[in-house]
Amino acid sequence: MDFTREELMAVAAAREINDGEVAIIGTGLPMIAAYLAKKTHAPKACLFFESGIIGAFPNELAIGVGDFRLLSNCVKASGLYYALSLIQGGYVDLGFLGAAEIDPYGNINSTVIGDYSHPKVRLPGSGGANDIASLAKRFVVIVPHEKRKFPPQCHYITTPGYLDGPEGRKSAGLRGGGPTRVITNLAVMGFEPASKRMQIESLHPGISLAEVQENTGFELLVSEALTETQVPSEEQLHLLRNVIDPEGVYI
Amino acid sequence: MYNPKPDTTYGAKEQLSQNKVLSIKKAVELISDGDNLTISGFAHSLAPIALVREIIRQGRKNLALTSMGECWAADLLSGAGCLSKVRLSNYMFEGFGRCMNFSRAVQQGDLEVEDYSHFGITSRLFASALGISYIPTKVMAGTDIVKKVTFDKDKSLVANCPFTGEKHLLVKAIEPDVAIIHASRADEEGNTQLFGMTSIIDEQARASKKVIVSVEEVVPTDVIAQRPELTLLPSFVVDAVVEIPYGAHPAGMFRYYNYDHKHIQYYWDQSRQEESFKEYLGKYVLEPHDHWKYLEMIGIPRLMDLRADPYLGY
Repeated sequence: MDFTREELMAVAAAREINDGEVAIIGTGLPMIAAYLAKKTHAPKACLFFESGIIGAFPNELAIGVGDFRLLSNCVKASGLYYALSLIQGGYVDLGFLGAAEIDPYGNINSTVIGDYSHPKVRLPGSGGANDIASLAKRFVVIVPHEKRKFPPQCHYITTPGYLDGPEGRKSAGLRGGGPTRVITNLAVMGFEPASKRMQIESLHPGISLAEVQENTGFELLVSEALTETQVPSEEQLHLLRNVIDPEGVYI
Repeated sequence: MYNPKPDTTYGAKEQLSQNKVLSIKKAVELISDGDNLTISGFAHSLAPIALVREIIRQGRKNLALTSMGECWAADLLSGAGCLSKVRLSNYMFEGFGRCMNFSRAVQQGDLEVEDYSHFGITSRLFASALGISYIPTKVMAGTDIVKKVTFDKDKSLVANCPFTGEKHLLVKAIEPDVAIIHASRADEEGNTQLFGMTSIIDEQARASKKVIVSVEEVVPTDVIAQRPELTLLPSFVVDAVVEIPYGAHPAGMFRYYNYDHKHIQYYWDQSRQEESFKEYLGKYVLEPHDHWKYLEMIGIPRLMDLRADPYLGY
């Protein structure tokens, strides 16, 4: 069966959402993945957006979390502070984040490349990412697999992973559980339980360990249970292509 | 509002006349050079862009922004050279790309920045809205957001809860000089209603010393009272009301008009280079001497095309 890397990533991301969970969703692939999960194994999952839109079933795909398309069919329209306070209040199981850079402990940069006050590139900044990573019970990162995006140290830590190791979050006073998965176009990674360093858990079909390592700026650990990433089913591909994103906005 | 001076009364505002409706020009005259502004906007909606264009036309300088994600105000004001410093959590033209004028200004060292998370900066506003001097949070701790400090020397403080001993990050109340808000409709006294999501408008308005609200339509108080659950700001929070149809264009307003995808794409392309942005600024901001001239340039066919479908709301 033919499928694209984006479709494989969307299916892998969808698998992270369990039925009945409350998930905070961002723009792009997570949006597709979340709707796929709702239409397959997790019909009772509640999806909401940091913009304050809760339980949205849009008639057409939105270009962002503030898009009116999400508003025209949702169960609650509120505000950003309310939405993020739900995470601090402990109501949210997981969130999805992107990254300009991610380090071995899952810390994320989305603020600057270069010096903070005179950066080479000024990026958009945290937004709700730091809040989601600080507070949600767990979070999943989706990022293209390129060496410069996986440096040994980020230029700036916008969003906390495990900070400097297993005790990092606790000693900073952070509540949430931290990152559990990093999904890329080459592999799915997790974090080794003792050291909280990133480890490869499954390789996408046709990808070797060496290829993943070559595209990573630090040494990756390898899970003892290393497998191949589960490929999309015919039903999943049908839903992605014909129902969720028929115009190919994100996939 | 949080007023740190102990000798003044909390919540006391200079009483304006009951009819608070002003022209765009008069409303913007309430803003002074050097003011710390907080401006509404979430992605491509709720942005008071007509007021922002007037701020640029009136040549305000050295403004500060205390912002969450108001990409439109930040990018236009950066590109026009009106800003000297910004607090932000995220500026992004959702669906299009980075805010190029803002990014360029920071990269050239023309703009001082202080980063926060969405919840972090809004908590500073919320503390002011509650009339308290700080608020404990569970975000931003352990990251460079806390470690890299530029102009907000007392950005945050780690402290243990006096009841449980749990570690918290405290953030200080911030009271902007002026909140500039775009909403759906208001009456002449300033009772302001909004359809759809509310972003952080409530926190911004209640935190600030002065509140200017532009709305798509000014309506009688009876109309407000028919749907009181839509009221976001009661009149006593609001100092000035300006009626500006299509006041958020090229952003949109739920139940009034969709965001103008074509114009946003054009803006974004023009903003990629300083030279081409100056052309945009001249053509769409400085030359149309008022909002009606601007709408004429956009053209009736486009404005009609953007009108919301009553069923969908966009």
